[in-house]
Amino acid sequence: MGRRWWTRWYSWVILVVHVFAILLFTRGFLLTRTELPYYSHCDDISQSPCFSSSSSVNNTDSRCWNKPAVGRLVIIVLDALRFDFVAPSGFFQEKKAWMDRLSVLQNTAFAEGSSAKIFKAIADPPTTSLQRLKGLTTGGLPTFIDVGNSFGAPAIVEDNFIHQLAENGKRVMMMGDDTWTQLFPDHFNKSYPYPSFNVKDLHTVDNGCIEHLFPALYQEDWDVLIAHFLGVDHAGHIFGVDSKPMIEKLDQYNLMLEKVIKVLESQSEPGGLHENTFLLVMGDHGQTLHGDHGGGSAEEVETSIFAMSFKKPPSSVPSEFDTSSCKLDLDGKKKCTSSIQQLDFAVTVSALLGIPFPFGSIGRVNPELYALGAGTWNLDGINVRDSSNLSKLEEWLLNYVNVLCTNSWQVKRYIDVYSTSSVIGFSSEDLLHISNVYVQAEQNWAHTTKNLLLYRNESCHTLLPALTRQIDSYFSFLSNVSELARAKWTEFNMKLMGIGLGAMFISLFIIFLAIQRINNLHMTSLLSPGGSRISFELIFAFFVVAIRACSFLSNSYILEEGKVASFLLATTGIVKLRSAIMKKKMQFEAVSFLLLTSILRFTIEVGLSKQAATSLFLSASPSWMFGVASGHPLWTYLAEIGPILVVILLAWLLYRTITSSIFGGLWNYITIGTILGYVLIAVHWVAESNIHSLALLFQGIAKGCIPRMVYAIGLGQLFLVAVGYLFGKDREFDCNRSLVMKTVAILSAWSPTIIILSGKQGSLAALALIIGGYCIMRLESLEDSDSDATAQIFTFNPLAVTQWNLLAVCLFFATGHWCAFDGLRYGAAFIGFDEFVLVRQAILLTIDTFGFSHILPVLGLPFLAVRHFLFGRNDHGKGFLFTQLSQMYMMYGLITATMVTVTIICVTIQRRHLMVWGLFAPKFVFDVVGLILTDALICLASLLYSGRTEE
Amino acid sequence: MTDQSKKKKEKEKVKVKVKENPSHSKSISAPQAFLIHLICGLGLALSLWVANNLYSINLVSDSSLTLRLIWVVESAIVLLIYSLFRIDPQQCSYLKAVARGILALPVGALVIALGAIALGAPVGIQYLPKTVNWSLLMSSFTVAPAASVFGSSWTFWHHIFTQTKPNGPLEYMICIPAHGAVIGGWFGAWPMPLDWERPWQEWPICVTYGAMTGYLVGMLASAGFVLAHGRQQCLKRD
Repeated sequence: MGRRWWTRWYSWVILVVHVFAILLFTRGFLLTRTELPYYSHCDDISQSPCFSSSSSVNNTDSRCWNKPAVGRLVIIVLDALRFDFVAPSGFFQEKKAWMDRLSVLQNTAFAEGSSAKIFKAIADPPTTSLQRLKGLTTGGLPTFIDVGNSFGAPAIVEDNFIHQLAENGKRVMMMGDDTWTQLFPDHFNKSYPYPSFNVKDLHTVDNGCIEHLFPALYQEDWDVLIAHFLGVDHAGHIFGVDSKPMIEKLDQYNLMLEKVIKVLESQSEPGGLHENTFLLVMGDHGQTLHGDHGGGSAEEVETSIFAMSFKKPPSSVPSEFDTSSCKLDLDGKKKCTSSIQQLDFAVTVSALLGIPFPFGSIGRVNPELYALGAGTWNLDGINVRDSSNLSKLEEWLLNYVNVLCTNSWQVKRYIDVYSTSSVIGFSSEDLLHISNVYVQAEQNWAHTTKNLLLYRNESCHTLLPALTRQIDSYFSFLSNVSELARAKWTEFNMKLMGIGLGAMFISLFIIFLAIQRINNLHMTSLLSPGGSRISFELIFAFFVVAIRACSFLSNSYILEEGKVASFLLATTGIVKLRSAIMKKKMQFEAVSFLLLTSILRFTIEVGLSKQAATSLFLSASPSWMFGVASGHPLWTYLAEIGPILVVILLAWLLYRTITSSIFGGLWNYITIGTILGYVLIAVHWVAESNIHSLALLFQGIAKGCIPRMVYAIGLGQLFLVAVGYLFGKDREFDCNRSLVMKTVAILSAWSPTIIILSGKQGSLAALALIIGGYCIMRLESLEDSDSDATAQIFTFNPLAVTQWNLLAVCLFFATGHWCAFDGLRYGAAFIGFDEFVLVRQAILLTIDTFGFSHILPVLGLPFLAVRHFLFGRNDHGKGFLFTQLSQMYMMYGLITATMVTVTIICVTIQRRHLMVWGLFAPKFVFDVVGLILTDALICLASLLYSGRTEE
Repeated sequence: MTDQSKKKKEKEKVKVKVKENPSHSKSISAPQAFLIHLICGLGLALSLWVANNLYSINLVSDSSLTLRLIWVVESAIVLLIYSLFRIDPQQCSYLKAVARGILALPVGALVIALGAIALGAPVGIQYLPKTVNWSLLMSSFTVAPAASVFGSSWTFWHHIFTQTKPNGPLEYMICIPAHGAVIGGWFGAWPMPLDWERPWQEWPICVTYGAMTGYLVGMLASAGFVLAHGRQQCLKRD
């Protein structure tokens, strides 16, 4: 009986392999980061080692972490600004049409004695606008799962410099892309948002910006102005980079920028409005030549920052910190551009404005950008009181070291807090290493300051190397941190992903072998070899599964997965109808199956439209089937009464089933409990209904009471099933009958809970499942009736299992779910309960999400195996029945696992795709959870259905 | 074993039946079949040309009008030609054959439209004329020729459309292009969900393209089959 043992444990092996594979893959793929709800405050600085108390106390009245270096700030964001839009064409191999268009920036930056500079800014993937704005303002590295993010609302909850500006009394004005107002709903004093979603509209946002920008430049009512232009991004998406609209856009921007600089310059005389104004013209990310962005290729991550101070700094940054690369242009003039990490943007701007650095920022204050601010060259209040004998440069370096000290302290604080409060933090050796570097830098600094205080008069000429050394040690700390953070938050671990994928393939292979082996064993015992043939149905089933699998490779098909599934289901239905007509029987079942598919198809579309409208509609319309014209009273009556009638119908069907001859014993009592559950559900819905006269009938019933009773009955029934499994005496009945009874019992134990969680659509979906299952079951016997069907490759009908699987998928979408986190019906978690308990609510939500698509179909699969019995045909005996059943379960598992494997391949290929976090990753999460659930259910089912009946 | 032999027997039975039945009173030679297919194909091309040049519309710019033009031309050609080869010329006059083809056209269109809706074709007032015209076109590819040739003889319909066991040139010529059109239309629906934002991805444009391609391929295949069949007959005679 070694074979028995083998089939019994096989499904558990698969479950373990799948869990192992998915865990590995997820660790490599789903980068997670915890969002911390902490904010930096002005008075935090007293905890830092950077200000000795003696000198800072009397100076901190007017300033916060460090002295503001610029008065006002103008940030002009040009979305999807490639580096080669800004940099001179001499930097590139070939001069293209779109280069040197923003000539005003080049002329200003390369003019003699200019206080402007062009930077190459390196962004971190994902290079989508939303993630980049988040990264730019928080100084962090946004990932897919920023834990703590409120699902749906995109508002940034982490500390960021816009928040700091608002906290510290700076007035912020915003115009352009409305993403900003979504991210920062109440941080702006004034905002002129324009819709950003219409990619085909090149001008609305830009014209709106320009309209408000120039008047604002003459006004005093803001400290920071943000103007976000979208034209270049949209032109790239629609026409590509090398196109006429793109060049027109760039020319338009050139004129606009020229005017902006002129206006600012005209007011920059001492005492003028823009005496100490700082201008930043920057991109949030680059784009490829086709206008795509989101990934991590050089074209996408390389963007540009043009920085200009209208108060000239007295000198330029020392050569040690100069990162500029220079090229000679045609006239032999030297043109230099520097480079900066976008990660450093938030902290550098905060330092320039003199506000606290965002709590979660891990960037460093960039020396070149910082040195452009004229205010950074005036030293005051730092512990060297008589600064007269210091050179300008030393003065600046001293100031910069102080800022870096604060910077390092703030980053260290974040890393410490993060690793204590996050579940998946950094590894301990990494943390230790970072701590060591930090302690070393700190000690070094303490030593330097001591020297500075002791010998400030005699050894001032030794100051410069000491400061440089100090800056280097801070740099080393900060770069260590950012390296670690990048490895943790932006780089996929390809090795783990590869191993996970490999394990999935192995599991597929195991299932395939298992099906083969059982088949061979079975075939040799029943038939003479060589009589098997590959049926049309097998090829067709394989074809359907293959199409569905391939469809996961494209984002469009994933978006419309429900439609694809119903298309394929309808195709199988049509093929079945054709053979039904050919065999001249069961035409009614075939037609009604097609009808059911059509209805499902419409409900899936309703779900899709809800998905398009995102979370807004989610809580509003539980009765999706009739939500179309909700105003009409007839619809209300139908929507209220229809589901209730269907529940009663279900109860009646169940009653009919148990009163038929085959039922008896313990299983009967379990099923009676379900009828009670149905009645309770009907009462609950009546009490909740919008129709007043109906609701009055059952007013006295407490709201949460009935759902809890239903859950309790369900649990009790499951307990009874377990008891029946352990102590049951199945030998009284023949195996077919007991299998049917068990299946009915366990399905009926689950169904009231699932129905009540799904809301009013639940009863209709249950009815659809019953009708669909019945039709599939009936139609399945089309093939084998004429020639007894023993000569096929399998003991079962592969097309029927495929249809069963497709029906399950369709029901998932038809009940208003979709593969995204806003597709979860959060309302379902609170049916019967008002307060939130994580585990309980999570279980309810899982049952609601996967009830109709995984739990019921998997547990109901034995119906396909016992059809011979149900329709009064002779059966092949016990051994045959259970071989068939286990093979069906294997086939079902194979189909599910194939889909998940393709999804995994897809996310691996598309890991740098624009939609990876919006679409592919949620799909991956849903599929993976579904697969584990299916595997676990198959294990339980094989235990329950086949366990005690043998010997 | 038993199964296979049974199937073989069945096949033989069918063959015998077909031979006994005077299934096509007017037999079609290979050149004739070529000519018919050529005319049907040319009709399709002509209607597209007329739409494009005389009315300056195409499937993308005004799909329902173009579709109407195509199905009117195509169904006229198909009905007029295939009615010549009706299986029961004694009982059924030429005009009657044309008339039953015309009757079958909307009935077939209804069935096809229902099938398309089950598969996911959009429903809605703005799609109604497109769906109607498209299904009439599909019907003139599939149902109309069969109706004017076979009339209401259920056995032939059964034979050709559910069992797909065509026998003889005429049945090849009806069966294969019809299946080609349906399968082509089915494949043609695939690009519809893609996010390329091309105008031809709209219902029913790419489905129509698919169906027309399938129909043309089917005609080519059927011409090939007719040729092969003719050779076989020749060999048998020898």
